[in-house]
Amino acid sequence: MRGLKKKYRDQVILEEVSLQVKPGEVYALTGPNGAGKTTLIRCMTGLAFPSGGEIKLMGLDIHHDGPRARANLGAVVEAPAKFYPQFSGSQNLQMHAQLAAMAPGSKKISRDRVREVLALLELTRMADRPVGEYSLGQRQRLGVAAAILAEPRVLILDEPTSGLDPLGIGLIHRIVTDLATGGCAVILSTHHLREIATYAHTVGILTGGRMADTVDLRARQANYRFRVDDEVGAAAVLSALPFVRKATSRKPYAIAHIGGETRVPDALAALSQGGIRVFEASPDHFDLYEYYRERVEQH
Amino acid sequence: MLTLISLEFRKLLGSRSVRLAAVLCLLLPWIWPLAPRLKEIYKLIIVSGWQVPTLALETVAPFLLPLLVALTCAEMIGTEIAQGTLAPLILRPVNRSRVILAKLITALLYPAILLTILFFGSLIAGARFGFGDFTGGTGIGPGLFVGVGELSSGAAFAEVARAYLLAALSLMPIAALAVLFAVIYLSTAAAALATLATINIMTLLVVFPEALQKILITTYLDLYTRQGDIGQPIILMIIYTIGFSVMAVFAFEKRDL
Repeated sequence: MRGLKKKYRDQVILEEVSLQVKPGEVYALTGPNGAGKTTLIRCMTGLAFPSGGEIKLMGLDIHHDGPRARANLGAVVEAPAKFYPQFSGSQNLQMHAQLAAMAPGSKKISRDRVREVLALLELTRMADRPVGEYSLGQRQRLGVAAAILAEPRVLILDEPTSGLDPLGIGLIHRIVTDLATGGCAVILSTHHLREIATYAHTVGILTGGRMADTVDLRARQANYRFRVDDEVGAAAVLSALPFVRKATSRKPYAIAHIGGETRVPDALAALSQGGIRVFEASPDHFDLYEYYRERVEQH
Repeated sequence: MLTLISLEFRKLLGSRSVRLAAVLCLLLPWIWPLAPRLKEIYKLIIVSGWQVPTLALETVAPFLLPLLVALTCAEMIGTEIAQGTLAPLILRPVNRSRVILAKLITALLYPAILLTILFFGSLIAGARFGFGDFTGGTGIGPGLFVGVGELSSGAAFAEVARAYLLAALSLMPIAALAVLFAVIYLSTAAAALATLATINIMTLLVVFPEALQKILITTYLDLYTRQGDIGQPIILMIIYTIGFSVMAVFAFEKRDL
């Protein structure tokens, strides 16, 4: 997505929003209410038309080459997901399967696949009941089932864990992570920052219709902290190591970006050789919530 | 395309307003065979089962059928917006124009569905009068209910079937107009209201020059009663239907949902 703009009459909703999500990446979109997340997702999925800029899915323009672009897409754009209440969960998914098979070059989605996704989302027991009888959480899970039905290469979810109990949230996390591991690009909007910090790779912070910041969580999570007797001296020792990208001090810690836990023994050895006493070594968890609060308050 | 049309029909037949309309169309024809003051008020004695479909049609054609058609056709988009089910449909790899075309085809066939139910409901209600040859008229042909002598059952059926077909045709522009307004307003109530208001305003234009009358759809809501050359009104109905449908397709193509 490049230079996306969206205006409703004179009101600017999105301004020069750009983002790129690679296969296998989980991109979390967050921001205060009214920041434009839903409009951005509606533009991304082709439901709304941008006033400027371009959006491509797998190289295909979502607005000019819609059916071919959406052949790669699975999406839930509302929380909870919406279905025909008079039809059962299974019938609703069967309809989605028939429509998904209308894409140029698509193959038919079997009833077995419908049963498989229902089982994956733990909805087998409710499969033949009208959706009108589903709870909020069950509808939300059915939405994710519909989104992954055609094995998409791009998955876009708006508030996927809204209305879910802790087990349901865990289930969605597992599914999203598995899909990303399999090469699917995942974009999700959420307010649950501490929750997504555990599995998202990148976080985009949208405020006032602009992308205020993009945080690479992978880089942040490769930080380790060492509680030492001389944090400034420790930071200097660590900076000199070839596998350390950056080292800083934050009393009583020396923080180093060392790329992963396999490098921790080498870092400890170097500190010991430099005469630094180490009392503790642990991952330096990035507090996304605090970071987000600071960024939003700045805008 | 057939997948989309069958999906639209499933949704249509599952909707509460359609079920209610179907029940109305089944029950309304019973008023006439059971009415004790029919002769007193309308100077009419039913002598054949073929007269009941005409009576039923004349009862519902001027107001109830346009109302039911406008409401349900507006609902085909309005309810989907209210339920949030249109977006998941558009998210599938289907052209928007195909989605709206499937809705339009279903909407245009809806008057025919209602009239078919009304027709069969009327036949059941009129069964006790029999469907053989009779002396009198169907109420639509020459001489109306009095007729011009003996009428064979075949001729009576042809007159009634023609009337029902023409009634379905005259309701098609209303169905297309309701879909067009639904695309514009994305709301059942607003679209149905706009459609009914348009019909009412067109009806009020009776005070304007006759040339204007000839191009209004409301002038031909009684098309089923007309004899002689009806080629021009039929062409006009078709032009209106296509015109409203094309506008609905274009509006839907670029509509934010």
